[in-house]
Amino acid sequence: MTTPAIPDPAPIALSHVSKTFGTVRALTDISFSVAAGETFGLIGPNGSGKTTLIRLLLGLGQPTSGSVRVLGFAMPDRRAARQIGYMTQASALYGELSVRENIQFFAALYGLHGRDLRARAAEVLALVDLADRAASPVQTLSGGMRQRVSLAVALVHRPRLLFLDEPTVGIDPELRHTFWDYFASLNAQGVTIVVSTHHLDEAARCHRLGLLRFGTLLAVDTPAALRAQSGQDDFEQAFLYFAQRPQEVA
Amino acid sequence: MMSLRRVFTLAGRIVRQFVRDRRTMALLFLAPLLVMTLLNFVLNSSASGATLDIAPAGDAASAAVAQKLHDALNGQNGITARIVTPAQVLGDLKDGTADGALIFPPDFGSQLQSGTVTLSLTLEGSNPGVAKQVQGMMALLVNGIAASAPGANPAAPRITIAPAHYLYGGPQFTQTDALAPLFIGLFSFFFVFLLTSVAFLRERSQGTIERLLVAPLNRTELVLGYVIGFTLFALAQSVVILLYVINVLQVHFHGNLALLFLVTALLTIGGVNMGIFVSAFARNELQVMQFIPLLLVPQILLGGLFFPVKTLPVVLHQLAYFLPLTYANFALQDVMIKGFGIGDIWPDLAFLAGFAALMVLGAAFSLRQDRL
Repeated sequence: MTTPAIPDPAPIALSHVSKTFGTVRALTDISFSVAAGETFGLIGPNGSGKTTLIRLLLGLGQPTSGSVRVLGFAMPDRRAARQIGYMTQASALYGELSVRENIQFFAALYGLHGRDLRARAAEVLALVDLADRAASPVQTLSGGMRQRVSLAVALVHRPRLLFLDEPTVGIDPELRHTFWDYFASLNAQGVTIVVSTHHLDEAARCHRLGLLRFGTLLAVDTPAALRAQSGQDDFEQAFLYFAQRPQEVA
Repeated sequence: MMSLRRVFTLAGRIVRQFVRDRRTMALLFLAPLLVMTLLNFVLNSSASGATLDIAPAGDAASAAVAQKLHDALNGQNGITARIVTPAQVLGDLKDGTADGALIFPPDFGSQLQSGTVTLSLTLEGSNPGVAKQVQGMMALLVNGIAASAPGANPAAPRITIAPAHYLYGGPQFTQTDALAPLFIGLFSFFFVFLLTSVAFLRERSQGTIERLLVAPLNRTELVLGYVIGFTLFALAQSVVILLYVINVLQVHFHGNLALLFLVTALLTIGGVNMGIFVSAFARNELQVMQFIPLLLVPQILLGGLFFPVKTLPVVLHQLAYFLPLTYANFALQDVMIKGFGIGDIWPDLAFLAGFAALMVLGAAFSLRQDRL
């Protein structure tokens, strides 16, 4: 095999990344980096390029230009896969299989096996508070429960880096709160999180935010700094301020 | 590095999903049996409806010949023969009591003396299958029996028909025997194609394909996992069909079971990968169904299931030689009926392997599209 990658100061580093599909520019000249243990929020309306950006970070495709480095690997690189957890927009589970079977299936794909696999599956089941529904087929669960299973699947192989694509779509405020508490405790363990959302109240809980619009990054900073810069208390107003500002400042 | 553990994790998941899905299980294992049973009845009882009236003239010679014909024909290949008077014939044909009538000329006696006898055959004619059957039978029999009738011209040659020799099969060999191998091929190909394309479509629509592609699982492992999972079911299905047709429908089987499985497995690998490939061009289950008339019906029509490939018009005949099911049919018939070995059917196996390889490439190509 090859030599292990040199430890990168930042788990994620994008430099002048652009992506075009045919003649459509999905992303234009994106540069930012994310530090270990940080939660980085991608904020923007539908079609602003959040999912495209996350897919590039996951290694599901090649940037048209620029470089995407994840955990020290120039993406796409399969070697990063084992340390990455991904929670998709839809719950993305097998409806006929039970909660436990879904979790164990993905755990096995990530190389867990035997006692470790079973123990770790039980651990994440308890974490998302679904131990009592472990044997239920996923298709019998409510939407919120499915999102919890989806999170359990994303965490089962102890990833160092977690990508969450609108993780709280369609779940109730109480569960959303629980999720964010959990993300904070993962950060404390050194896990880096990239989360896309268009819930502006969730944005406040990220360490830093990237504001995306039409595939360009309007601004990258802490929630407090963004509010201060725009002179707006409300994120919705702040976002509008950056969106209407002349482009070259970004 | 390919990991067999990941491949079997995936194959195991597919098996598990199937076992949970009772309806699909029933479709896989009961539907073929139902179709085979229906076909068995349809194919082997349709001929038994044929009834032939034999109407001798008034003289003793024609009565004797008619009796001989009656004895020779009655019960043969499902034909019922009856001796009637010439006056009854038309009524019988019209009301459907008889499908055909063999009418002796009024001057049968003198015709026999001269050595040339002309009997007239009237057929009801609305069912061409029955008509042909009766006609073919007559042509063979009348000649021989008339020649041996009392008072026949001694100079006329005596023609007798010796019992037929069979290279393969035998006198008890039925249409079901001939078709059972073809249906084993058709069912495994059809169901595997249908189920894989729907299963893969679901991977895409429910988003699990994203999780699979993000996981440390490469495309080879993904395709292999699917192939193993589905081939297992196709083989189980073949075993069930085979046990049923041999033990319940009493179909003759002379072949090598391992070779039969090899053919089925190759066909299944082609079917799974064709399903993965095709699912990339479908947005929902209905669109998958739309591929059936395009991809499966021509193979069913041209592959030898309904019409022997050799009897097809030239263009279609050549087209048939591009279809995988044609080769699977040749191979399965050769193995099951003729007891051929691998040395005899290797060209068919080679084509099936080539088809499978082509479809694997197609599947791998379509999986590329799931990346940006």
